[in-house]
Amino acid sequence: MTTFDDQFGERWVASMLATFDAQAADLGELDRQAGDGDFGTNISSAYRRAREEARKAQPESYSEWLTTVSRGFLGTGGTSGPLFGMFFRELARCTTSSAPTASELADGLANGLATVQRYGKAKVGHKTMVDALAPAALAMGQAVKDGHPDPLATAAAAAVDGARSTAAITARRGRAAYVGEVSRGVLDPGAVAMAMVIQTAHNAAMGTTDPAGSILVDPA
Amino acid sequence: MVHEALEGLVLSHPQVVAYDPEHQIVTRAHPAAGKVGLLSGGGSGHEPLHAGFVGVGMLDVAVPGAVFASPTALQLHDGTLAADSGCGVLHIVKNYTGDVLNFTIARELADENGIRTAAVLVDDDLATDITGGADGDEDEGHPGRRGTAAVVALEKICGAAAEAGAPLDELAELGSDVVARSSTMAFALEAGTHPGQSRAAFDLDPSEVEFGVGIHGERGTSRIGFAPADDLVAHLVGPLADALDLRRGTEVIAIVNNLGSAYPLETYVAARAVHRQLAARGVTVARSLVGPYVTSLDMHGISVTLVRADDTLLSHWDAPVHTPALTWGGTR
Repeated sequence: MTTFDDQFGERWVASMLATFDAQAADLGELDRQAGDGDFGTNISSAYRRAREEARKAQPESYSEWLTTVSRGFLGTGGTSGPLFGMFFRELARCTTSSAPTASELADGLANGLATVQRYGKAKVGHKTMVDALAPAALAMGQAVKDGHPDPLATAAAAAVDGARSTAAITARRGRAAYVGEVSRGVLDPGAVAMAMVIQTAHNAAMGTTDPAGSILVDPA
Repeated sequence: MVHEALEGLVLSHPQVVAYDPEHQIVTRAHPAAGKVGLLSGGGSGHEPLHAGFVGVGMLDVAVPGAVFASPTALQLHDGTLAADSGCGVLHIVKNYTGDVLNFTIARELADENGIRTAAVLVDDDLATDITGGADGDEDEGHPGRRGTAAVVALEKICGAAAEAGAPLDELAELGSDVVARSSTMAFALEAGTHPGQSRAAFDLDPSEVEFGVGIHGERGTSRIGFAPADDLVAHLVGPLADALDLRRGTEVIAIVNNLGSAYPLETYVAARAVHRQLAARGVTVARSLVGPYVTSLDMHGISVTLVRADDTLLSHWDAPVHTPALTWGGTR
């Protein structure tokens, strides 16, 4: 059973920090294969900034915790930095309580998707973070509507499937678009990172701060 | 490196500019009140742009990114807060994907803080003008023309209008008008070299000249054999005059810009050619700037920007300005 208690935001951020501490280098390696190689560094510096923000702001509520991550990314370069920043900003704004309900979180994901698409102009199939986020938002919304006991589990599974689907896609948006066919066969680091973000939300909802496992290994 | 250069700028011009290293923004040493704030920013490597144009009569705040990289959305947001004195803030944005994205986000953040903003997009680079390519699918489309040296004319003209008390919406309109009247074209004898790298952004045979180069080491659109300065400049002035529909009797502001390591001697030879070729078309250069204003590291090349002028633009151009890189007239 999932719990969106008052410590949900804090656990989610802790789980993200643990995840990207461990996996930023692997994400950077993906970007080197089919991009410009700065993704790992950017995501590391975004979460380093989020840590500093948290130390300064002493966040308590869910919104305050998610805002530290949003500001961490908005203070980071590249194109994915500001897009992740605006995504987390929508999540931070999805509730006015100290923790969101599953329904508010579903709306937050949907609004985050809309914002990322508005700024990034990417669609599903363009080999970007949208390929993980769009199915996750859809699955979350449906699971909440169906009264699923663990809606974030279905969202996380959909995000991971979406991220894995990017290996078969030739990039249309983002840095990898410049290398075209070379990007085929390589997972999109933005989509993988987004899937990890949703997985860590699920971990937090399960009451832990465990990092997300690597999804870089093809299960097939 | 950028940080150190900004400290050097402020040490050299302490009466004009100040640097806030925490927020990574450059402000006026004595912030103005009761006027619209003017903010511009972009990647570094184009010095004196933009920090060199902070001061009375031009910008209120400059927000520098790393070399050739957009400043972050938070930097731009902090800059916008610093630029606002209650009358709103005009963002002057060169048209590059990262800059446009981060400026747009900064405006959304400012809106939430109750700060009114408007933006002018500068897209003057004729080499990236793609006409007739509209395929009806906007989001698959070309990113549009790049923003280059016309941004200096815009910052000067809007800066003067802002000092004179023009409101935000009027400044945005004036800025768009200046952009619509401006066009830029460049050539290079040698590309620039990124700090820390051993090779130039692109290779160019000493016997060749590349036309239509950008200011970030972007390759040009055509290449010709080395030729006398008059011939090289003719390849810029001709297309610019056509693009701006410069007819006999027109007045222009001309910026003959050193892209980094052209000799001053060469730059004035190019200026001579610009004047003579425009004169031959019956076009008068009413005002000019000659020198390094929007550079591309150490690129050996020159860009020419022409702005179709009228009396209003010229009076704003002539108004006093006092910045590290551009100073004339009395100060207030």
